[in-house]
Amino acid sequence: MVREARYKTPARELTMLRVDVTKQLGEFLLEAAFESQGRVTGLFGASGAGKTSLINMIAGLLRPDRGVIALDDETLDDTAAGVHVPPHRRRIGYVFQEARLFPHLDVRQNLDYGRRMNSLAADPAQHARVTDLLDIGHLLDRRPGKLSGGERQRVALGRALLSKPRLLLLDEPLGSLDEGRKEEILPYLVRLRDEGIPMVYVSHDAAELRQLATQIVMLKRGRVTALGGVKVLA
Amino acid sequence: MFDISPAEWTAILLSLRVAVVATLVATPFGIALAWLLARREFWGKSILDAAVHLPLVLPPVVTGYLLLLTFGRRGLVGAWLAEHLGIVFAFRWTGAALACGIMSFPLLVRPIRLSIEAIDRRLEQASSTLGAAPWQVFTTVTLPLALPGVLAGMVLGFAKAIGEFGATITFVSNIPGETQTISSAIYSLIQTPDGDTAAARLVLISIMIAMSALIASEWFARRATKRLHGN
Amino acid sequence: MNRFAGLFLAFAISLSAIPTPAAAQDKSLTIFAAASMKNALDEIDTAYTAKTGVKITVSYAASSALAKQIEQGAPADVFISADTDWMDYAIGKKTINEPTRVNLLGNSIVLIAPKDSKIDNVNIGAGFDLAKLAGDGKIATGDVKSVPVGKYAKAALEKLGSWQAAEPKFAMAESVRAALTLVARGEAVLGIVYSTDAKVEPGVKVVGTFPADSHPAVIYPVAATTTAKPETADYLAFLRSTAAKTILEKYGFKFLVSPST
Repeated sequence: MVREARYKTPARELTMLRVDVTKQLGEFLLEAAFESQGRVTGLFGASGAGKTSLINMIAGLLRPDRGVIALDDETLDDTAAGVHVPPHRRRIGYVFQEARLFPHLDVRQNLDYGRRMNSLAADPAQHARVTDLLDIGHLLDRRPGKLSGGERQRVALGRALLSKPRLLLLDEPLGSLDEGRKEEILPYLVRLRDEGIPMVYVSHDAAELRQLATQIVMLKRGRVTALGGVKVLA
Repeated sequence: MFDISPAEWTAILLSLRVAVVATLVATPFGIALAWLLARREFWGKSILDAAVHLPLVLPPVVTGYLLLLTFGRRGLVGAWLAEHLGIVFAFRWTGAALACGIMSFPLLVRPIRLSIEAIDRRLEQASSTLGAAPWQVFTTVTLPLALPGVLAGMVLGFAKAIGEFGATITFVSNIPGETQTISSAIYSLIQTPDGDTAAARLVLISIMIAMSALIASEWFARRATKRLHGN
Repeated sequence: MNRFAGLFLAFAISLSAIPTPAAAQDKSLTIFAAASMKNALDEIDTAYTAKTGVKITVSYAASSALAKQIEQGAPADVFISADTDWMDYAIGKKTINEPTRVNLLGNSIVLIAPKDSKIDNVNIGAGFDLAKLAGDGKIATGDVKSVPVGKYAKAALEKLGSWQAAEPKFAMAESVRAALTLVARGEAVLGIVYSTDAKVEPGVKVVGTFPADSHPAVIYPVAATTTAKPETADYLAFLRSTAAKTILEKYGFKFLVSPST
């Protein structure tokens, strides 16, 4: 069932994400600084710890009050220098907790959206690889309203992947699914990791992260309380 | 009873033309304003909102008179337009279209604004993470999802434009073939001896147009809801 | 959905391409005429169009409204006013081609009532009590401040000493025809209109005539505007022809000039 498919990784070995930001979030102050090296950086913490706000800042959907965000050699945010690259220019994919598929487009059009917006050439080979990997080839003509929760999440993953991002952000992508679905999708994510796609994966579920992450950033009430390998979760 | 005279046909066709032009021209402005009011916060927003709804509550004759003062041959803007661009509104069908467009504008904007507000902004966020620049977010996500609301607003605005009377007759008077719409024709007919039958015919036609427009508007509004749920 | 929207839009755009009925390739003229001219002038215009092929469009309204519209730039070729005041006003505003002005027609004002009214045979002279005659009802006429028929009416009533008592009972209409309709529908118990209007409305009857010396002479001037098309001259000549005279006198107008043809 697991096919030998290859997602072309960039020449560099590891994508470097550097985050050093501060933001006032209602009651508490979010202050996080870390560097991600490796395939999957897991952002771990209880709900309300500031995880979503953090990846929203990495995506460019939220601006830090103070700080720097850089991806490889490109500065995405630098409040001191007044730099803010808008989300549509960051080439950072985002898989949301609620999928957020476009209801007026069918699955095929949803998947093709990122390619069109980024003016990328058609890549039927990659399209085939991704639809195989996520097992969504038979859903192409359906509308989002007619998909199950698990199917929606897989399409959302495919949509983000097909926009050829440099980095993939995932915000509790399995959060709204039942155990059965989770069991179904986790292998796909492991596959993605093994393909070499750099990810920042937000979750409050330690078990998930133990399977997926290569590095953990633990967040508690807006502060990084631990930083290291998966052992940190113990 | 049902043989329609040439004068009545003229009024009907003129009304259709005026209302269609008014609606088509007003729609881009309506969409722009609806988007602004739905998605942006800025100083003076409530004043803009009130201004958009003004034609709904001002006496139509007042609106017509203000149009005359502004766009009439000797008006502030009208004089300049006539001299430099050769565009004349007063006592022309274009003026009737302007009057109808302004009077129907609030009815056009409202459904569009509501349908834009109903669109989940998180979808717009998702589209920007997929590489869509702000204008692309608008054309590929916001507008398609708001389309049924746009159509509902257009149809409602059209119905109002076709029935407009007070502002039209004040601004462009009642010239058969040029500015005599169905409403002004009925108005003239009820003052004419033996005009009652013809007036009744036009009244029936008015009602039919208005009813169809309202039903169509409802239908589009319902499709808007279905569309947002991905069906 | 999108296909439907596209179809809808195409339909709408095709509707807007409907040519303006008035923008005919044939010659046409626009007349602004006092409301009381309606029936007579319609017949004259039909005859004219049959004779010359020139299409005539008329906008009927109170002379006051028309004079002001012309002042605002309305595209009239000819102005027919129901009194000399409004023609003089238009001349004063430099919208009239003065040499073309002719005091063409005369008329008289009458007191009317709904056809089935009990009021009849009213003697209108000095001391005539209009207020008492109207009782609790309304007296319809054109706005006495601006519409010619209203101005004539007020002048006459003032001369006869009836104005003050009757004033509160007046229903001011925006044109003489609007006033005529009010009486025809029984909304007003009495009305003051031109004798020519009473003739064409079967729903009213004339119950009295105002003595000619009680008010300024009713004169209808005709003139071309400063923006008139060249074809206007021919039309104006037609208005002075025997053919036109016959029609106008049939409707009860007095022809004040000798016919030219």
